[in-house]
Amino acid sequence: MKGSFPLVPSVFVYATVWGGLARQAGLSLGEIALMCLIVTAGASQFVAVPMIAAGFPPLAVIATTYVVNMRHYLMAATLAPAFRGFPRRWLALIAHGVNDESFALAVARRNPPDPWFFLGSVVAVYGSFIGGALVGSVLGGLVSDPARYGLDFAFPAVFLALVVVQLRRRGDWAVAGGAGLLALWIAWRFLGNWHIVVAGLVASGLGALIMRPEDA
Amino acid sequence: MRPGVLVTIVGMAAATYLTRAPLLLALSDRPLRPRLRLWLRLIPLAVLPALAIPMVLLRPDGNPALTPANPRLWGAIVVLALTAARANLLLSVAAGVVVVAILRHFGF
Repeated sequence: MKGSFPLVPSVFVYATVWGGLARQAGLSLGEIALMCLIVTAGASQFVAVPMIAAGFPPLAVIATTYVVNMRHYLMAATLAPAFRGFPRRWLALIAHGVNDESFALAVARRNPPDPWFFLGSVVAVYGSFIGGALVGSVLGGLVSDPARYGLDFAFPAVFLALVVVQLRRRGDWAVAGGAGLLALWIAWRFLGNWHIVVAGLVASGLGALIMRPEDA
Repeated sequence: MRPGVLVTIVGMAAATYLTRAPLLLALSDRPLRPRLRLWLRLIPLAVLPALAIPMVLLRPDGNPALTPANPRLWGAIVVLALTAARANLLLSVAAGVVVVAILRHFGF
């Protein structure tokens, strides 16, 4: 677990921001705590909060969550060989711990990753994520008019920042820009709340067909 | 807890578990095929702008707000510029929020 201590402050702050924004978007403390405990996936929780606040139907939020979290397939497949020999019942529980930060740290250290290092990191990340979210949700209840301070803009701001740090190849820019424009057009021209899932899958699918597989 | 939100959160948890558990439990040694890996890497790159761009450029009534009088547009430009210049992520977001708050304060 010690090797993951450098992650703790950044995960804590990220979770505090999420908790504060979720509270201001109208989620109750119980809803925030439940989401942290059973979903425990930061990016998709950022995505879900403004959708819930805007009154999107549950199915649209759930489908969007699934698509945002599909990247876990990649991590789980990479981690799997490291967990050979573990009882399957444990693995069913350990699966809930797959997260970006622990994965990145464990793979950077050794490949195939050390399963015990990964598990220690999961404990550190989860503790700081849930602690940060609870602190944030209490603080968030203290601000009464979030739009006045531009806090509603924090959601798209986080999404845009997360995209920019992931852009690596020229094709990535086309996929990101194309998805944004397609979603804008769908949201403007059609009713309903499916522009995120449709534009996300179409743009990433086209990108995966057109780009070279080596760009993975 | 609101019943609709409870359904949403439980559904989110189930959907997320479905992305984590199957391939870990399969314990397969075979790596994913390159084009599948590429697609899985591109999905967040497509979903996040698909979410963000309409939030920035559409008004709550669903019509485009492609004018310089839209505070969110300037906030987005600041966030994109700062993250592209490799500024700290939370700092970039905070700067965007401050720009939006200032513009709103002056009535935009």
